[in-house]
Amino acid sequence: MKLIVQLEDLLHQFQRAPKREDLRLSAWRIVVHESEVVALGIKDNSPGSVYTPPSYRQGESGDVFLVWGDGTCSQAMVQLPFSRESEYWLKALEQWRQASYEDPDAVHIPAPESLPLVAVEDRAVQKIISGDDKILFEQVDRWLSDKPSKAKMQGSIQAAWGYRHVRTSTGLAVTYQQSQFVSWFSFDSLIGGGFAKRRLIQPMEQEELWAQTVNQYTWMQKDAPPVGPQTQVILAPSMTEDMLRQFVLPNFSGDRVIEGQGAFSKESFQEQKQVFHEELTLAIDPLRPLELGSYLVTPEGVPANQTILVQDGQLKTPFLKVKDAVRWGAKPTAVPQGTAGLYLKHGAEVPWVKALEGVEDGVLILSVLGLHTQDSVSGSYSLSAPHSLRIMKGQIVGKTDVKLTGNFFADLAASTTKTALSDLDTHPYLVLRTGVQSL
Amino acid sequence: MEQKEIKALVESVLAEAKRLEGYFIVRAQSRREWSMRLSNGRFERVSTGEDSGFGVQAFTEKGASGFATSDVLEEGIGRKLVEKALQLARRNEEIGSKPNRTIWEAPRVEEEVANSAQKGFEEVPLVKLEEMVMNLHARLRGAFPEGAWQSSYRQIEEVWCIGRSDGTLVSFVIPRAVLMHQGTVRNQGKAQSTLIHRSGMDATLLFEELEDHVLEKKAMDRAEFARAVCSAPQLPRGHYPLIIDYGLAKGLAHEAFGHAVESDHMNESVLGEKGKLRQGLRVARPGVDIIDGPLVGDWANQPFSANGLPRQTVTIVRNGLLEAGLGDIFSAEEAGMPITGAGRAESYGHIPLPRMSNIRLLVERMLPLTPGEHLMDEVKAVRETLLEHGELREGEKNLLLLGYRGGQVNPKTGDFVFQCDGIIDVAEPDLPIYQPSIFSGKILSALEAIRGGLGEGCYDAIGSCGKGGQSVASSGGSHRYLLMDADQQVSLGGEQA
Repeated sequence: MKLIVQLEDLLHQFQRAPKREDLRLSAWRIVVHESEVVALGIKDNSPGSVYTPPSYRQGESGDVFLVWGDGTCSQAMVQLPFSRESEYWLKALEQWRQASYEDPDAVHIPAPESLPLVAVEDRAVQKIISGDDKILFEQVDRWLSDKPSKAKMQGSIQAAWGYRHVRTSTGLAVTYQQSQFVSWFSFDSLIGGGFAKRRLIQPMEQEELWAQTVNQYTWMQKDAPPVGPQTQVILAPSMTEDMLRQFVLPNFSGDRVIEGQGAFSKESFQEQKQVFHEELTLAIDPLRPLELGSYLVTPEGVPANQTILVQDGQLKTPFLKVKDAVRWGAKPTAVPQGTAGLYLKHGAEVPWVKALEGVEDGVLILSVLGLHTQDSVSGSYSLSAPHSLRIMKGQIVGKTDVKLTGNFFADLAASTTKTALSDLDTHPYLVLRTGVQSL
Repeated sequence: MEQKEIKALVESVLAEAKRLEGYFIVRAQSRREWSMRLSNGRFERVSTGEDSGFGVQAFTEKGASGFATSDVLEEGIGRKLVEKALQLARRNEEIGSKPNRTIWEAPRVEEEVANSAQKGFEEVPLVKLEEMVMNLHARLRGAFPEGAWQSSYRQIEEVWCIGRSDGTLVSFVIPRAVLMHQGTVRNQGKAQSTLIHRSGMDATLLFEELEDHVLEKKAMDRAEFARAVCSAPQLPRGHYPLIIDYGLAKGLAHEAFGHAVESDHMNESVLGEKGKLRQGLRVARPGVDIIDGPLVGDWANQPFSANGLPRQTVTIVRNGLLEAGLGDIFSAEEAGMPITGAGRAESYGHIPLPRMSNIRLLVERMLPLTPGEHLMDEVKAVRETLLEHGELREGEKNLLLLGYRGGQVNPKTGDFVFQCDGIIDVAEPDLPIYQPSIFSGKILSALEAIRGGLGEGCYDAIGSCGKGGQSVASSGGSHRYLLMDADQQVSLGGEQA
């Protein structure tokens, strides 16, 4: 029997007619994922090496959140039981009961609401899972035949498909299919490109991504003049995403704001304090079709909706899960899936090609070392970025090594900061004036 | 799930696999975790969880491989995975993948290592654990009310069994537990956070902490230090004589040298040449050793590799010379190093990669240091010891880097960066504090700059190794502090332009 069915039966039973009164449930919610994943990798120019062989993964697991008769709650990770013991679930309930704790703000289970229509499944991905996986092998073959001759290539393609089940004691019962397609490749472990959405990559997107990465690799072979104090810094979309992950996500998490552990206080949000430049907007949007950060409903049973975190540079709200929403006195918001679903935009955003034309003296940062070590609360960074690309008079001219020093919150507040639209990424290029010096 | 049950399952799956052509490695794992998190005096989460499953790696006669996993531990599923993995291996053979038949040469091993925990996983009831952690959390909040505190406790038990077509069958249990305090402090409108931990095998560590409050004292010292860091100036960028604590030394040894000698990385390692380990290369001054190997009771202990071979202790650098690498069965020979049982995986669902366990960096030339009860007492003792032995470099800053916040290395170019919690200039009697700043440069220059150790060995710096997108427990350390000369290829700091 499916895990979701076993859990639903169990929790219904212990809500309505428990075998023991101390195990009576007053409310609950369940989220279960059933997934199948196929993947293939390249290591050191070798397809399907012993470290990256074609692989298949099957999983069925989930989380339960329980509210007991006495108002305490419990959480547990669950999977299909190995034991055929008839009392398996009763024993599990006893252990969950033992793990119960008081958290009055967490016990609210939202009533069901109508769900938005969001495309989160691409049938073409399901075909790969069910055996028509030629596309993965062909893609790997093409990469290896087209790669720059001297480059040592690493890469991976992964297709995932499955069901997501969300059930609550208040009557929500949703099951839907979702898919994911992720591919990435790198040359000499220095330059790389990647794609991650809920749909297959289109041939045109693959071509553009490949051409951009090969061009960057070619530029990387040529040394360029060092940067100066006036050099503009441009973060590539993947770098913008990394900065958002390190500095923005943790500081907009409702629980951290409420507990005083974030960069911005609760009062700052209530006063809608101006923290970024007035042209900047930051939002969570889980409604965009087939994006990795898109979903229909959160694991807590909250329908997907758009949430503006910062508008015109002013704090609007942190993202709030159900418990945080109760404490905040507001409705739960959308929640980002990592940085997927998080969108930063400048009012005067222009396409990257146009922005590049306007850069007289700049450096394009493709990656940095050690970003995860920086203090997310202070926003300060001190990073080395070997293998960056020098821009002069609107043209990329070669490779340079730099060190960046600054504060990401100050960057987002500066009038000199702009975004530029990427054709290949949901995150923008970020054009900054910050501390930069040769490494 | 018990060790016996898992072994029986693996044996039955291997018995079924005998009817098929090829070679199979079957990994089964059952993992239990209890965890809890408190924030500012309240439980935020108490969670229990189990995760178990199979991973089957199949090899065709020619040496092409395929991998299949499931989180359902059942004989029937195991059989299906064997077939699926073999089907993928055959498919892989068709695309001309690089064959690897080294697994046929692996020695047959049969061994069982029992759980070394002092307290069984469920010996201390969850309710009691909650009470103890709340008690510790409340004490800390009372002692340092200016901070916003989060405390968390995790105890984990992993039961592994690895079987192979040659009859190899090894099983072992890894118990681990950790208590962490994370504090956020504010000063002059700026915020800084600090994170410290105490690790062990089981709930014994909570009883010990309730007795000696070692972690609590450290947390308060570190929070006080973080508060001072908030208002501290930034350090001008430069090349300085450094004193790094053992957490940072572990980071340096792990990120900069350990990864660079893993057998699957030799094609892209600064310590490799034409794909082979540059054995005999002088990488440090005489007297410097780097050793990797499992330690019983340690956070990263693992007695056998995930391919069923005993994990060996390896002297990577002996007396300043590169001596050996961390080799797994699949790439050691090609990388020009012996097989040391270095293959480790996050779980049954991951392909094992050559990895470290507990890595330590030791220097023959050691100055004695009595650990201080409080952080700044110890820093004073460091200054006095250096003065006494004529080790303070005169006329310049001698910077002590405290706390390891992580780091990253490009093994191909040898570039590294590490971050600390803050910096103290021990050349000045008033011990001025500076903002944290990246410690970066070239790994070989950093190793070459090590000139001595201060204090006895401390090997309990823990972390999680993210190689290959997996998350595997790692640990290590060095003397309480390491002394490093200023080097033009190793820099600290970087002021805003």
